[in-house]
Amino acid sequence: MAAYLTHQQKVLRLYKKSLRHLESWCIFRDKYRFYACLLRQRFNDGVGEKDMVKATRMLKAGEEEFWTNQHPQPYIFPDSPGGTSYERYECYKAPEWLLDHWHPSEKSQYPDYFSKRETWKKLREQSWDREVAQLQAETPAGGPLGEALPPARQEGHLPPMWWQYVTRPRERPT
Amino acid sequence: MASRVLAQCVRTLARSSARVSGGNLAVRAVAAPGSASHRSFSVISNAERSRVLEQSRVSIVSVWCRQYGDLPPLTLETIRDRVMYVLKLYDKVNPEKLQTTSHFMKDLGLDSLDQVEIIMAMEDEFGFEIPDADGEKLMSPADVVQYIADKKDVYE
Repeated sequence: MAAYLTHQQKVLRLYKKSLRHLESWCIFRDKYRFYACLLRQRFNDGVGEKDMVKATRMLKAGEEEFWTNQHPQPYIFPDSPGGTSYERYECYKAPEWLLDHWHPSEKSQYPDYFSKRETWKKLREQSWDREVAQLQAETPAGGPLGEALPPARQEGHLPPMWWQYVTRPRERPT
Repeated sequence: MASRVLAQCVRTLARSSARVSGGNLAVRAVAAPGSASHRSFSVISNAERSRVLEQSRVSIVSVWCRQYGDLPPLTLETIRDRVMYVLKLYDKVNPEKLQTTSHFMKDLGLDSLDQVEIIMAMEDEFGFEIPDADGEKLMSPADVVQYIADKKDVYE
């Protein structure tokens, strides 16, 4: 994703957060549904605007109206930042290099995984230089623009930093 | 009265442990004369209660097992069923034309505001937030299912 948001993206984000705050204000579902339909109609009226100056002025007015009407304690999902369960299980997510430090008696309890693990690690050794070269070639001089990693460019190559993604811990480590 | 309640509790525990241990005849022999010695009223009520208990108990690992509260585990089929169910409930979507691979904008003729509402409905259904950057890219039910499976580590 580029560094700047398009006008459409800004409008859609305003719509979503205004609906969420409206949901926090109107706790009864039928009342929320009624005011959500009214809000949707207000957004629909401004959809066909071709003049970008007027459209950005309308967006700015909408953002200011959202700011004055926002809920002081909006409903935040538990797993999202600010929620009750955010990063709750982060302390139980162990990195995968700990598996190398297991005792052989523990490793023998999972023989097929550890036999495959050696071949995966060899693959990582081989592809690491290629991944670094690809990243150095593709990153602009001032640093990366965003967090997204580029895909693998050639046939038979693996995408950069694939090992970190493949061996990431589970969302809910038990 | 209290002794009858306690005897019924012991009989229930003995019956459940008998089921777990694979039918110990001695335990069942202990349980059977205990029920026969009571009046017919209590025997009938106990039989009904045990039938209800057998039906309600889906699976017993062991009698003394600690159980935590959590949602049932997600599978790809359940995620797909729930996503299609929520989409069919949306009034701007024609349920006959809805397929897993149908694109929201091209096949179903929905707006980008409708797509935002659909993503919000998915958030409400599965109970976790889909960030705006990811949500604006999900353009078909198959994309949504794949994204939720990625986030929830289903069949990784």
